[in-house]
Amino acid sequence: MGLRDILTGRHEVKGPAPDRLFAIATAYVSLQAEHGIEPAGAAAIVFQALATSEFEATIKEMEEVVVATGKESGTTVATQDDSYGYRWMVLRNPSSGPSVEDLAVGVNAVSSSIETAGHGERLLCAVFAFKDAKGAPVYFIYNYKRGYWYPFVPSGAEQERSTERELQLKAQMGSELPIEPELERWFPLWGIPI
Amino acid sequence: MARGRSNFGKDTGLQARMLLTMFLLGLLYVVFVGVLFAAGAGAGVIVVVAVVLLLLQLFASDKLALATMGVKEVTPAQEPELHGIVERLCVQADLPKPRVCVMETSMPNAFAMGRSQKSTTVCATRGILEILSPAELEGVMAHELTHVINRDVMVMTLAGFFATLASMILQFAFFFGGGFGGGYGRGREEEEDIMIVILVSALVYAISFLLLRALSRYREFAADRGSAVLTGKPSALASALIKISGTIERVPRQDLRAAEGMSAFFIVPAKAKNSMMNLFADHPPLEQRLAALQRLESQLQGTA
Repeated sequence: MGLRDILTGRHEVKGPAPDRLFAIATAYVSLQAEHGIEPAGAAAIVFQALATSEFEATIKEMEEVVVATGKESGTTVATQDDSYGYRWMVLRNPSSGPSVEDLAVGVNAVSSSIETAGHGERLLCAVFAFKDAKGAPVYFIYNYKRGYWYPFVPSGAEQERSTERELQLKAQMGSELPIEPELERWFPLWGIPI
Repeated sequence: MARGRSNFGKDTGLQARMLLTMFLLGLLYVVFVGVLFAAGAGAGVIVVVAVVLLLLQLFASDKLALATMGVKEVTPAQEPELHGIVERLCVQADLPKPRVCVMETSMPNAFAMGRSQKSTTVCATRGILEILSPAELEGVMAHELTHVINRDVMVMTLAGFFATLASMILQFAFFFGGGFGGGYGRGREEEEDIMIVILVSALVYAISFLLLRALSRYREFAADRGSAVLTGKPSALASALIKISGTIERVPRQDLRAAEGMSAFFIVPAKAKNSMMNLFADHPPLEQRLAALQRLESQLQGTA
C-alpha cells in the first residue's frame, strides 16, 4: 500500500490473487499414487456472506448452477454458516477417481460467480478434504487472497495440529502445488465440516 | 465490474479533511522549525533529545505500555474464538497474524499496538470478550487491524513529533526560568530570541494539540470504515460500539484510571464522556460514528 493510502487511511480489501485453484486437480494424482493420501470426496468454499438481498440472490443463483452442472458428475451442494459468521458451501462427490477435478470445477464456479458479482474480496478460502492411509483427515486449504495452498492436519486433540505432518506434506507436494511460503500464514480452520 | 457495491466505503470528504489537517500540521511545523533555526544554539540540543525520544517512542513504547498494563499473550488453546476471528480477518486483509493478547479487566475495550505490520499486538479486554457476540467482536478486531493496516501508530507518533518538541521547550522554559542552560552574560537580543521561541512553542503546542485531536478522530472514522469494508458488516460494529459505550460509563473508577494513559489506542476512549470535551476528544462522538456506519450499511444494501 502506498504512502498516499497510509496518509489518508484508505485501505481497500484485496481481491483474489491469480487463480491457482486448479493445481489441486493434478496434484491429487501424486498424493494418491505416491503418498497414499486419498480424496475424501468433499470440498468447501468459505466466504463472508453479505447480509444484502443482492448478495443472497447471487448465492442462490450460483447454487442452482452448481447443482445443475453437478447432476452428471454426481456432485451435491450443502450450505451452512459457522460460528464466526462465515458461510461454507460444501460440495460432495462420492466417486473416488475424478472427484477432485469435479469438485475443483464446482468450487471455481462458485468463486467466479461471486467475483463477477463484484464481491471477490469476500472470498476467504477453499478447502479440499483428503484421508491418509489410517483414515485420519488431511486438508489442503487454498487462500484466495494469496493464491497459495497449504496443508492443514488436525491431530485429533482439541485445537492441535500436526505441524510435522504438514511440513512433510509441504516437502512432498512443493513441486506440484504452489505452497504458501510464509509458515505464519498457514492459518488453521477448526471444526471443518467436511 | 462491480454490481451494487461500486460506491461501498467511499468517503472522499473524510480523506480531504484528513489531508487538510495533515497539511496544516505540516505548515505549522515548518514555521516552528524555521523559528527554532533562527534562534540558533540552545534549540539544537532540544531537537536532538526530541529525536531520541521519538525513536524510543516508536520502538519501545508499545512494549512498555503492554508491560505496565498487565496485558498477557494468549495461545489459541486458551482463546480459540478470539484467535479464530483474528486469523480469518488476517486472511481477509492479507496480513501476517499479530500477537493476540487479553487484558484482565471488566472494562470492555480493545486496542492495537506496534509500528509495523510485522510487530503488531492486538488486545481485547476480558470485559469485551464477555459482552460481545462473535460478529460484533469481529467488527471490533477488524477496526483494530485497520489501525495496523493504516499504520496509525506510526502516523500519529510522527504527526505528534513537533508537538512533543514544543511541549519540551515549554517545560524547559518553566524549569529554567526562560533560559536554556544558565543564562549568564546574555545580550538583550538573545533574551528576546528565547522569548520568541517560547511564545512560538506555546502557540505551536496549542494549535497542534487541536489538529492532532482532529487527525486522531479522522483516523478513527477511517478505521471504522475499514472494519466495515473488511467484514462486510457495518451494523455489527455499530452494535458493538453501542454495547461498549453503554457499559463503559458504569465501570468502576479504578479501572478507568489504570487505563487512562492508553485511551488513544482504545476503540472507545477510556474516560467517561462529557459533551463539552468533544472538540478535544481523541475519538469522535458515538452518534457520529454510528451515523457513518449507518451510511456504509445503506451503501452496502444499495439504498444510499
